[in-house]
Amino acid sequence: MTTQIQLRDCAKTFADGTRALAPFDLTIEGGETIVLLGPSGCGKTTILRMIAGLEFPDAGGKITFDGDDVTHQSIEKRRVGMVFQSYALFPNMTVAQNVAYGLKVHGVARGESDARVKAMLEMMHIEMLADRAIDQLSGGQRQRVALARAIAVQPRVLLLDEPLTALDAKLRVRLRTEINALLRKLGITAVYVTHDQEEAMALGDKIVVMQKGKIAQIGTPHDIYQKPQNPFVADFVGASNRLGGQMRDGKLHIGPGVFDGPGNAHSLHHGPVDVFFRADGLSTCDLENAHFSGDVAAVSYLGERLRLTVSGIGEMPLIIDTDPDHAIAPGSKIHCRVNPDRLTVFPADGGNSSASASATVI
Amino acid sequence: MSLLQNMKGGRSRPSFPSSIVARIFGQATPGAGSPAILFLLMVPGLVIVAAFFLIPMALVAMRVADGPDGLATYFVILTNERYFASLVQTLVMSAGVTLCALILCGICGLFLVRNRFFGRNMITALLTLPLSFPGTVVGFMVIMLAGRQGAIGAMTDAVFGDKLVFAYNISGLFIGYLYFSIPRVILAVMASAEKLDPQLEEAARSLGAPTWRVVKDVILPGLMPGLISSGAICFATAMGAFGTAFTLATDIDVLPMVIYTEFTRNANVAVAAALSIALGAMTWAVLAAVRFFVGNSADLSPRGGA
Repeated sequence: MTTQIQLRDCAKTFADGTRALAPFDLTIEGGETIVLLGPSGCGKTTILRMIAGLEFPDAGGKITFDGDDVTHQSIEKRRVGMVFQSYALFPNMTVAQNVAYGLKVHGVARGESDARVKAMLEMMHIEMLADRAIDQLSGGQRQRVALARAIAVQPRVLLLDEPLTALDAKLRVRLRTEINALLRKLGITAVYVTHDQEEAMALGDKIVVMQKGKIAQIGTPHDIYQKPQNPFVADFVGASNRLGGQMRDGKLHIGPGVFDGPGNAHSLHHGPVDVFFRADGLSTCDLENAHFSGDVAAVSYLGERLRLTVSGIGEMPLIIDTDPDHAIAPGSKIHCRVNPDRLTVFPADGGNSSASASATVI
Repeated sequence: MSLLQNMKGGRSRPSFPSSIVARIFGQATPGAGSPAILFLLMVPGLVIVAAFFLIPMALVAMRVADGPDGLATYFVILTNERYFASLVQTLVMSAGVTLCALILCGICGLFLVRNRFFGRNMITALLTLPLSFPGTVVGFMVIMLAGRQGAIGAMTDAVFGDKLVFAYNISGLFIGYLYFSIPRVILAVMASAEKLDPQLEEAARSLGAPTWRVVKDVILPGLMPGLISSGAICFATAMGAFGTAFTLATDIDVLPMVIYTEFTRNANVAVAAALSIALGAMTWAVLAAVRFFVGNSADLSPRGGA
């Protein structure tokens, strides 16, 4: 029932010579939800459109659905369901007509089509909107209609291209939960494109992090979050604080602190390293316990925590969270220490092999 | 329409300049400004309409009533064989021109919007050039093409030994009007086509729709407002245009020419007046029908005439 999708040696070069995607392999198991995550222009949408049949891979690439070669099949033959950021609902049709469109095209008999449309609308909790015109709907309602329309034809794969980006924050979270439940319930193979790390974490069985036309890492949300394999992924999933350090005799030296190598550090050779961490990688303390001291440049109160922007420690200002009850004003001095188990360490110089390390010692 | 609604509903926050501007441009700001000032600003427009439309129309209508047959003159257009034939001919030709222009320009406009290629701007400029030509010039060009000394005549003479001449009758007029209508329709189609959301087509295709279905269910409905409004303009222009017909020949039986000959040659003022009103009424009726079917959104104001 569920469809396994394989992409082999797929690359994409556009007519003007731009390389959108370097050759890559990707397997999506039947019933799996895979999220393509990355900044705009990273090629994630191009992969989605390749699976859809709206773009074709360069010669040599091969796409299969359950082993059937669909590489040269156009979109209308592939039986894919698509959901777009702009909803792309037919403005000249009512909600019910939109949902029925694919069934009509496939020649499903009237009675069966009506029943299926009704079931779809009920599943998306929009049965009361059946006879509405599209321009009478809110953004959230439109995206529900678009989902109902896409799944009504029982596609082999559901492709979602930033479906929640146009919605406001609260609705985004609610609809995300609904989509998640829907995908589990249908057990359909799904590919979801987003630039939002939180969305990716919440929805994906697997996340494919993309960077400049290449796959930077494939893994479960847990892997991606806890064990980023390179600085780009670390940065993209929120570990955007960076400090320089040194590996010496299997120990990690950061400023005056010396630590047992965290998680991935054993594999590193002698030499300079970049240390990435989230806002919990440093915590505030008093002067005698401190590894670093810096100046508070900005303070934002986030309710359950106080977020400080601190300059004077690394090259770039660092983001550090602390107790929301602390009274810290911008301009004050702050002392903090390193939480070694919160660090991710890579060889210095943007993740090149440690052999290239020739950076200055701190 | 929105102007009217605003005037009825508006009764708060008189912030003069911005609200006037907002009303003139039809923004749906919840009422502001005083209706009296707005009415004063409309007076010049109303005066012009009265002076150049209502008064002459009334005079024309009175001429009909004063004529030998009185109000029965209005029926002459239906009872007199020649007038009726001319009416049918005018209607058929205008409808034909409109249909051809819509088909030709629908395809060209869509192609020009969808494709970027060398010379695209040149082609667009060429296609929209006749916008600046008076009807007389268009008529003259038709003669140069299909007249007795025309290019087509010379060519057919050389190849078949027989001159093909069709400038001086309804075919010539048809070509002229078609040429004249292309820019208006193509600009409207291009404007509508720019607004088509390519993702709508992708969505339809993902649901299994083959190309013809995408055209029928997505592209045509998207272009429809532009096609209908520009088609209406095209039709109205073809119904009333005179310059091209007059340049080609004085005996082409289209209504504007008949009105002209009745008035100048036969001094049959009452019939000319009745025909004028009939022509105006029919054209208006078509535009009104179009407005009724597509709503007020479409811009139906005819720009320029031949």
